[in-house]
Amino acid sequence: MFLKRILVFLIVTIFATSHASIGGYICPYSRKKFLEIATRALNTNTEDISVIYFGANSFKLLNEALPKDLKTASCEKLNKLFKPTADLSTLFYGLSTNKLLGCDSKLSVEGVVKIAQEALQSDVSSVLDLHYASEILTLLGQPLSNQQKIVQLIQAQLKTDDSVLNLGYALHIAALLGNSGKFIINRIEDIVVQADEVDGKLLQWEGGLSTTSQILTGLLKFPTSNQLTQVQADKLGNYLLSRTTVQTPKGVSVLLEAVTALAASKISPVSISIAGPTSVTVNKPELRIQVTNILGQPLKPTPSPVVAQSATRIADDVVVLAKQPLSPGTKESEFILPLKLEPGFYKILINAGTHAATLNARVLGPIEIKNFEIGLSDADGSSVPKLEKITFPNKCSKILKGDSGQNLLVKFTLSQQVHQAFLRLSAGKKEIIFVAGYESNNQYKIEADLGQELPLSDTFTIELIIGDSIITNPIRWNVGNIEVKLSGAATQSVGPKIIRSAKPEIVHMFRQPDKRPAEVVSLFFTALTLTPFLVLLVSWKKIGVNFSNFTPLAIPFHLGFGAILGLFALFWLKLNMFATCAYLIPIGGFTFFAGQRLLSHVAKNKKPEKADK
Amino acid sequence: MAQTNVLLKFYNEYSAKTSRKLKVIDAYLFYILLTGIIQFIYCILVGTFPFNSFLSGFISTVSCFVLGVCLRLQVNPENKNQFYGISPERGFADFIFAHCILHLVVMNFIG
Repeated sequence: MFLKRILVFLIVTIFATSHASIGGYICPYSRKKFLEIATRALNTNTEDISVIYFGANSFKLLNEALPKDLKTASCEKLNKLFKPTADLSTLFYGLSTNKLLGCDSKLSVEGVVKIAQEALQSDVSSVLDLHYASEILTLLGQPLSNQQKIVQLIQAQLKTDDSVLNLGYALHIAALLGNSGKFIINRIEDIVVQADEVDGKLLQWEGGLSTTSQILTGLLKFPTSNQLTQVQADKLGNYLLSRTTVQTPKGVSVLLEAVTALAASKISPVSISIAGPTSVTVNKPELRIQVTNILGQPLKPTPSPVVAQSATRIADDVVVLAKQPLSPGTKESEFILPLKLEPGFYKILINAGTHAATLNARVLGPIEIKNFEIGLSDADGSSVPKLEKITFPNKCSKILKGDSGQNLLVKFTLSQQVHQAFLRLSAGKKEIIFVAGYESNNQYKIEADLGQELPLSDTFTIELIIGDSIITNPIRWNVGNIEVKLSGAATQSVGPKIIRSAKPEIVHMFRQPDKRPAEVVSLFFTALTLTPFLVLLVSWKKIGVNFSNFTPLAIPFHLGFGAILGLFALFWLKLNMFATCAYLIPIGGFTFFAGQRLLSHVAKNKKPEKADK
Repeated sequence: MAQTNVLLKFYNEYSAKTSRKLKVIDAYLFYILLTGIIQFIYCILVGTFPFNSFLSGFISTVSCFVLGVCLRLQVNPENKNQFYGISPERGFADFIFAHCILHLVVMNFIG
């Protein structure tokens, strides 16, 4: 416990005095992808000179020579697109591209100098315009004249808008102005403070990759006064590495711009990583460690000493190695750490100069089976089991014969503890797997009740399976055969049931109608319900209904009303609601009209009678 | 004895004082009532299946009865004050119209 505390203290002090490193570098895969994006940018049929610029710039920053045909084609495209009367940004991209490509034909730059000089003295020029104009003049080899005026213009523009991006452009102009540009140094602290930290690991300026790149490259043009610390540079490096997934030509170009500037600076982040596989074997224990800058290039000067400060076994936190110097490897940036350790997972703390990193590595080793014994024992434990010893990779001399009253007993010892130790019994397509139980001292034991575990009588092949993530020789050993005779079990099993197949179709079940009453009863009651109608007729007769008021006018009404009732009967028998309504409208209208005529006639005839009364 | 006397007196008064028009309507109402009662007896004796048919038949008689009573109320000259502006003809027209709607629904429900 005490030792552990000392160790923790030591590690803390080591971290306190040395700088961390970044988690990787621009790997060959990313380089290849960047190159593809740049090639695609140069191949596109674009009207935009900036795309050609970004492609060409990426090629240059990747230190790759431009293929000749691509260069000629790009130069032709540039000549066609470039016009000396274009706006400042196009002029800047055109001239820069021309320089990057090194085209043979000269661009016509008549009047460009004048445009740029006028922009540099104009009150309405933005900081970005001033940036382009000054870059253009520098590209054309013209001096920046009247520098005081330029400085005044920048400061006036920054007063109205001092966003970080504008400050970034101002940094670039100030770098071109030389001594007159010193005014910007007062703003550097302000710029650095505005960087946002993400999760305590990344550092960026608001506005994304291009803004961050613009500001970072600008800051690094003032190496003596940029105030960036190594920790900040590492975090910026981490941010840039996190953006290696960019897909646009512009993204690639600005990313490479920033990474190159960072690698060339005094605060170049250091990447300590494992080159190649992160696992070594006991026979070849050399772990290759790579110490590079963010671009994956060897550090100048080479950091020294490169030391494995400690290595800890993760399983039990035991320190197995301390202060072991690394020997130089085949490449300049490569160092070799021999991990002559037991198989397992290790956490290794590497120090390279003032930089440190913690790496995870794995040591693989062979495994050995010792004291393998197999045999049958009585399930009730009545007799001492007879076990046969077999040495790997031999097979059992005879076929074991068991029945349902017996247990299959297997015992073995391994050279180390493993994750996976199984015994597999198989016959044809049937298999059953037993998990070996860990006893103690790397001893394993399997006891399988044949009567309970096996489904049928058959001859089974016995296999031992040993596996783990830290062994070099996973084992699958055919131990022998066992013939099992079970009492009361089928000797031939039915083939495995097909579980996946179409389910039976579901047919809708209608409710069974209740039993209807006998036909006689129904008819009787139908007649019975109709009899009151006779009663009605009789009583009306008794009362003495008179038809004296009957007029021919009544005929259409009665016909119409009868038609409605007939329609309802049809609706009951076969029509649906829509058809019924459709018929009902004309018939109803007719009946309404006829009824109205009839009733008004009746009312007219009645009034004089009333008056008589 | 007293009950029969009362009933007899009631019948005589009814025959004498009620107008013929109202008697016709009353006969109609009586017919509806009888039909409804027979349907109900069927329901008690045989069962309600199919229930929707029974319901539509029974509801039809009940509604016809209600509509008939309404017609009688409107036609009765004694109720003239309450139904001012509604002539007996208007009442009859409403009665017919309500029947059209009612039987459309009944036929829909009968199945």
